[in-house]
Amino acid sequence: MRALGSSLALAALCAAGSAAQRPPPSQAAAAAARFDHDKHRKLFPACETCHRGAVDVTAPLWPDPASCAACHDGVIEERVSWQPPAERRRSNQRFGHSPGAEVKSIPAAQCVDCHAEKGAPWMSVERVALGPCLDCHEIKTAHLAAPDTACAICHLPLVRAVRLTRQDIAGFPEPPSHEQPGFAQGSGHGAAAKRVTPVTPSCSVCHARDFCLQCHVDAPEQAPIQALPSDPRATAIVARLQPPPSHADESFLARHGEIVRRSATECAACHTQESCLACHVARPRVARGLRRAEPGRGTGALVHRVRPSWHGDDFAGGHSQRAAAAPATCAGCHVRADCLDCHRPDAARAAGYHPPGFLARHPAAAYGREASCSDCHNVGNFCTSCHARAGLKAAAGLLRSGYHDANRFFAVGHGGAARQSLETCVSCHTERDCLPCHSALGGRRFNPHGPGFDPNRLIKKNPQVCTACHGTAIPTR
Amino acid sequence: MSSLARLVLGVIVVASALPVTGRAQAYRLRVDTRVQAVAYRGNTLDSIPVGDTVTGSTGGPVTRDGFAVTCIGSDPYCRFFRPGSVVHAAPVTAAADFTLWGLGLPGLSIRATGRLVGDLSSAHNWPGTDSHVQLLEGYAEYAAEHLTAQLGRQVVASRFGFTGFDGGRLAYRTGQRGLEVAGYGGWGLARGAALPVTSPALNPLDDFQPRQRQLVAGAGAGWVAERFDVRLSYLREVDPRVDYFVGERAGVDLAVRPAAGWSLVGGADYDLAAGWWGSAEGTLGYADPSGRVAATVGLRRYRPHFDLWTIWGAFSPVPYRAVQGSVAFTPVAPLRLRVRGESYTFEDADVSTPLVAYETSGWRFAWGATYTPSNAWTVDGGYHSEFGPGASSRGFEGSVSYAPGERVALSVHAATLDRPLEFRFDQSSLQLYGAEVLYRPSPRASFHLDASGYAEDRARPDAAAFDWNQLRVSARVVLLFGSGADFANLPPAVRRMPGGRMAR
Repeated sequence: MRALGSSLALAALCAAGSAAQRPPPSQAAAAAARFDHDKHRKLFPACETCHRGAVDVTAPLWPDPASCAACHDGVIEERVSWQPPAERRRSNQRFGHSPGAEVKSIPAAQCVDCHAEKGAPWMSVERVALGPCLDCHEIKTAHLAAPDTACAICHLPLVRAVRLTRQDIAGFPEPPSHEQPGFAQGSGHGAAAKRVTPVTPSCSVCHARDFCLQCHVDAPEQAPIQALPSDPRATAIVARLQPPPSHADESFLARHGEIVRRSATECAACHTQESCLACHVARPRVARGLRRAEPGRGTGALVHRVRPSWHGDDFAGGHSQRAAAAPATCAGCHVRADCLDCHRPDAARAAGYHPPGFLARHPAAAYGREASCSDCHNVGNFCTSCHARAGLKAAAGLLRSGYHDANRFFAVGHGGAARQSLETCVSCHTERDCLPCHSALGGRRFNPHGPGFDPNRLIKKNPQVCTACHGTAIPTR
Repeated sequence: MSSLARLVLGVIVVASALPVTGRAQAYRLRVDTRVQAVAYRGNTLDSIPVGDTVTGSTGGPVTRDGFAVTCIGSDPYCRFFRPGSVVHAAPVTAAADFTLWGLGLPGLSIRATGRLVGDLSSAHNWPGTDSHVQLLEGYAEYAAEHLTAQLGRQVVASRFGFTGFDGGRLAYRTGQRGLEVAGYGGWGLARGAALPVTSPALNPLDDFQPRQRQLVAGAGAGWVAERFDVRLSYLREVDPRVDYFVGERAGVDLAVRPAAGWSLVGGADYDLAAGWWGSAEGTLGYADPSGRVAATVGLRRYRPHFDLWTIWGAFSPVPYRAVQGSVAFTPVAPLRLRVRGESYTFEDADVSTPLVAYETSGWRFAWGATYTPSNAWTVDGGYHSEFGPGASSRGFEGSVSYAPGERVALSVHAATLDRPLEFRFDQSSLQLYGAEVLYRPSPRASFHLDASGYAEDRARPDAAAFDWNQLRVSARVVLLFGSGADFANLPPAVRRMPGGRMAR
């Protein structure tokens, strides 16, 4: 029942957003060109004089334009170019004089009973005078405020008003009931739709099932919706689903998973699995509580993947701690391929994590370790191989000059720079370059160990590192 | 067409056929193909007798026509590089990301990400194109409410980076309490690569290399609560040949959300093998939920980590400490301003180098602005400057983008750069210009073209001041295939809506 109420709220929400979408009626222009009955009221004593079809179905409803020329001959009166409508008027009224109308005439009724307000002067006619209609059918409200059960008295269901175009339908006036507070709720339009089983006829005057399908994910489970026939023209009244107030809460994005896990029933009224997968692309499992989008079921809420505000402006550069602290949170929206795209960059990539042209300025960023390069780049495969091809390749030994500003003393003074930027040195140099001076087995025996070096721990963890310089005679402190 | 190009084409064709052949299961396949054509200057190794060299302005030997040379011990010749002819390269990668589920057992899926990599040019000299076939991930996963098990090649993300291995991983979650414990193990891959450390592709200079892959074992325990996330991580890598450690580290990561918009994130790791603290960081951030203001201030410590099959850890790399901050805000609706900066200082290296001066601290900052006069147009500009040990750079950059809808995006960009380097003859000025086009005819396909040019003016005191001008043209095609809920047929009413579904 709860689900039903929630889902019924959708249609009302849809309807609430539909008024602004309606263009002006398409037949308004035709109405402006109508014959001015009031101006001719002294000439015609009876309606049937011109509209013989109203009483004789075999006769035309409209007069011959040539009969106008009897007066409008350019001498007595100026010529007119009035022509009867080329086609039958498009309408959803049950009453009419055309061959396709459901009720062509009402016995004992006079023309003015339907086409003139009560007490109106002769020939002050309207296409349909609503007052007499409402009076005759004992409807005590304004036209559009008529009870839901009353609409079908005069109007055909939309699906049977086959001559109406999408534009006509889009121009339907919106009943004031649809603007009432609470109409968006299940107790509003939902209850109204169920006043008559299986569906209140007044709904079907303007709507068909396709209209409901714009929002109702649970359409197959809703008897009133299923009772409405399908008609694609019904989507001419465009519905927009508005998110409920709970979704505006700042913490909703963070909390929605917990809510869904507790009960997906409420969510399933508005959302299909597609909603979940718009963001949770890597986790089809999270969507299992909802229904699949499929023919006959509304799309419901369309979720657009948005960047959370807490990502800030430079999240790519500082996301590592958050990702390490709660990797499952990232996995909610990101697939592993998103990570690998940067963390395992491919050789043909033009730009991505780094801005265009980063290659030219990477020495500064790499020296200063603006980020940990080796998180994404293998030094041997990426840095060293490229440097070697560019000529940045140490030949053998360090006691030479040339590359480092041709400073002849660089080799004996490189220690500080090397300890600061050892990763940078390694991008061009191999261990062989260092051992001639730093090995304890020969050469110059310069001690490379600096602050924080713990030989005992290193011997315990991996004595092979020590043997590279010390052989088997590894000293301990 | 080379054999590699035919192979890439074949993969795409097979992938295109999958929607038909794989209809029984739900699957997703993303094929991302990129190719780049590059022209850049090459270099030629040359030599000169030691006796023919002269002393240059900085005291080192140079050729008579001004090339700084490298002279080695008793070698009678000194060597140097001359500018070579233009080199052409055409690196190409075809990456496929594949997920298959609906295999009869709920929760069971198969995931794989692989690449074909190569250089279509005859020179075959583009770095990073070995090996030609790379499997980044490929594993079977079983995921239930409380349990996730993975078996195969996979990558585990932690504060130690992306650890790749061939093996298994098991994670247990308590559900609503937010607790998770996980353990994994297997044969490891090299850092920053989808290749084992034994691969020749990782050893371009013929350095010492392990003979066997390291064994990897790791564990993690995390707690995700409403106001905070915390995770402890442990990772050890062992050389199976001698049963010695390649690395052993432990770390902690923490993210606290004390109030709406506020966050405090940080972490630290300790190198159990070396006996010292590694990197650590802590950042206090505020992001206005409306997105108008975002600011951070933080402290950072960085120390590189070296595997123990190298000797580099014994050279005692010293860490640096940094203070950093950033602010981005929107003073008026279409304008976004941003500024960030960082200052860092290395710890004492405990070494005396009277003959060589070098920097021990540095800074970097950048500012920029993004102006979005309409949904279609974006104008972005900025300036960055950094100065520190070894190198510095400064320059402007800007771009103009036009994206009238979801389908097409055009962009032009340009940048200037001054790049003085420490310890090297590479004072250069560079101008970068380029344009790119993105065309996305459907959500399942996108095409991307990019062309960039680099014009360099190298201010070098010797004759090796040849330019580094480059022209790069790249193309990218991304195709998405798949079935599943998000690709199921939409309701007929929606399909018939004028303007399609996007009209809503």
